[in-house]
Amino acid sequence: MDDLYLDNIDEFVSDQNKIVTYKWLSLTLGVHVNTAKQMLYHYLEQKRKETSGTRLHATYLVSGKFVENGTMCHKVSVVREDKLEDVKSKMDVTISVHVYSIQKAELKDSGPLYSTDYDAVKENLKNCNKYTAIRCASAVPRSSSEMHRAQEMAQVTVAENAASKPELTNHVTSNPTAKQPKGIMGMFANKSTSKSQESSKEVKTEQKDDAFAVNTSKSKPSAMGKAMSNFFGKTSGKKVTSDQPDKPVKEEGGGAEGMSPSQCSTKSEPDTKDEPPKESPKAVTKEVKDVKNSKTKRLEQSDSEDERMESQKKKRRRIKKPHPDSSDEECEVVPESPPVPEVNTPSPDRPMKTESVSHLEESSECRKRKRRRVLKSHTFLDDEGCIVTEKRYESESYSESEDDSKASSQRVKDTTALQPTRRKREEEKKPTEKNQKKAPASTDKTTKQASIKGFFLKK
Amino acid sequence: MMTTLTRQDLNFGQVVADILCEFLEVAIHLILYVREVYPSGIFQKRKKYNVPVQMSCHPELNQYIQDTLHCVKPLIEKNEAEKVVVVIMDKEHHPVERFVFEISQPPLLSISSETLLSHVEQLLRAVILKISVCDAVLENNPPGCTFTVLVHTREAATRNMEKVQVIKDFPWIVADEQEVHMTEPRLIPLKTMTSDIVKMQLYVEERAQKAS
Repeated sequence: MDDLYLDNIDEFVSDQNKIVTYKWLSLTLGVHVNTAKQMLYHYLEQKRKETSGTRLHATYLVSGKFVENGTMCHKVSVVREDKLEDVKSKMDVTISVHVYSIQKAELKDSGPLYSTDYDAVKENLKNCNKYTAIRCASAVPRSSSEMHRAQEMAQVTVAENAASKPELTNHVTSNPTAKQPKGIMGMFANKSTSKSQESSKEVKTEQKDDAFAVNTSKSKPSAMGKAMSNFFGKTSGKKVTSDQPDKPVKEEGGGAEGMSPSQCSTKSEPDTKDEPPKESPKAVTKEVKDVKNSKTKRLEQSDSEDERMESQKKKRRRIKKPHPDSSDEECEVVPESPPVPEVNTPSPDRPMKTESVSHLEESSECRKRKRRRVLKSHTFLDDEGCIVTEKRYESESYSESEDDSKASSQRVKDTTALQPTRRKREEEKKPTEKNQKKAPASTDKTTKQASIKGFFLKK
Repeated sequence: MMTTLTRQDLNFGQVVADILCEFLEVAIHLILYVREVYPSGIFQKRKKYNVPVQMSCHPELNQYIQDTLHCVKPLIEKNEAEKVVVVIMDKEHHPVERFVFEISQPPLLSISSETLLSHVEQLLRAVILKISVCDAVLENNPPGCTFTVLVHTREAATRNMEKVQVIKDFPWIVADEQEVHMTEPRLIPLKTMTSDIVKMQLYVEERAQKAS
């Protein structure tokens, strides 16, 4: 293996300021993942020997076994370099350690690691495991008929999943309910309830790149319930590792510095104590299969879109509610800082803007069923016998999937039987439908901005 | 399927403005997180463009950012916004960093709708990733920084903004000279993205000496 790869990696890391993960490197250079890991290792060694130059940060993937509550657990986690030794020492048997990524920036959280691989995997979707070490003869792409069946099944099982969720939470010994926000997050208590629901939601399963068939067999019962297998679960796994070493540090720090924002420190300390030991380990790091599934679905969806409006709608709804997550990681830093309301730099004393817009925007960012206020026109007969058409806001319950059908069903709905007005109503219904097809927030904007638009159209 | 649309086709203008404003919201939150303008405890991992991003949970901060972008949106729709700048200032209100998003939209848009949005999403994802690692090329900010958002418009668009308050009690004012210009800034380009519907360039102007 010639040394050209060292220059390549150097270019990626130093010049382009990229995060180079072993998976990204393997897909980019077309080498086996194990080769990529070795390349990263050599590069790191070489760079560390040179005293000059920019400082590099690395993350490592550690996997090993340890005993928890009497059961043997297999844990896989991605850790920062400074926590590597701690994590290794906590395991009974360390099975594998290798470089996960190298980057110039010191990452504050694990999000960018996932983003780095996302596009690379997406481009190589059909053969993203070409260079991996995991092989399974029965893992072949599904045919289209199987895909149809699977989609139908998925719709049926969504209802079942809701019923089985409470069972899963029993297995998940980490704290879905105790995920009440800690520290500064405690101030936004109303947002916390959704988080606890999210933490019990994950049911997807994953494959890890390095062959650990052992992984599934050993930890099956809790792996199901554990459901830490999507990316956000990965952070929980990391959280375990990063929190455990942090715990002793934090306790000392807490004593020594006498943290002033008492609500932060007192809340966060007991919480972090509760959390890490309880979490069942197995954070399987990468989602290969599941990413594939979700991506193919998404691609199919975008292919079948006829109108841009619909795709726009889907895009808007992609902001999902917070996932169960690494608020711990962030909270470690928190005790130093004053409570948030005092940090009122962007003049947060602005009064709330008009209700309808804020309400609409909030509802457009929430998932599933919500009520939204929609501009509707009502035609009715008033006291004097005149037919009046009035546009007003009405609360209407909707869910993401129903939007389209709702729009079409309104066309059918016919509230009065008066002939002469029917045509007028239909004309009015059409603009309101059109407005409803757009994202809710823009509905309001069309009425609000009538004056500005009017000015320009006159030209 | 190629369609040629003009700026007057307001439906499409709104779509582009929506996309850009959503993106700017995520970008601003991420900048506040990465540059440690606010303690990281108020941030929460959320998902956008299929990747994790950090968004703040602080209701007033979120409201402020949303109101700001709500006012910027009509400018983008009309292609009057030239630059949107997130300025980070130190305790004395001197800017230490300016994240400049230069936006330009082609007047005549030829688009093929099938892959357009997923392509744009991919590009925006790349910009988000670049913001996440920008602290490798920037120096640390002094403590106690604040931020503000400036919009540079073409021509006289701001006159309308002052007359018509898009959001009640959320007035826009002409920015101070000291916020707009930095003396001898270092220019650090972060990312350029070019797509059929919008071109965007992101760079950072950094003050040479940050600790005053």
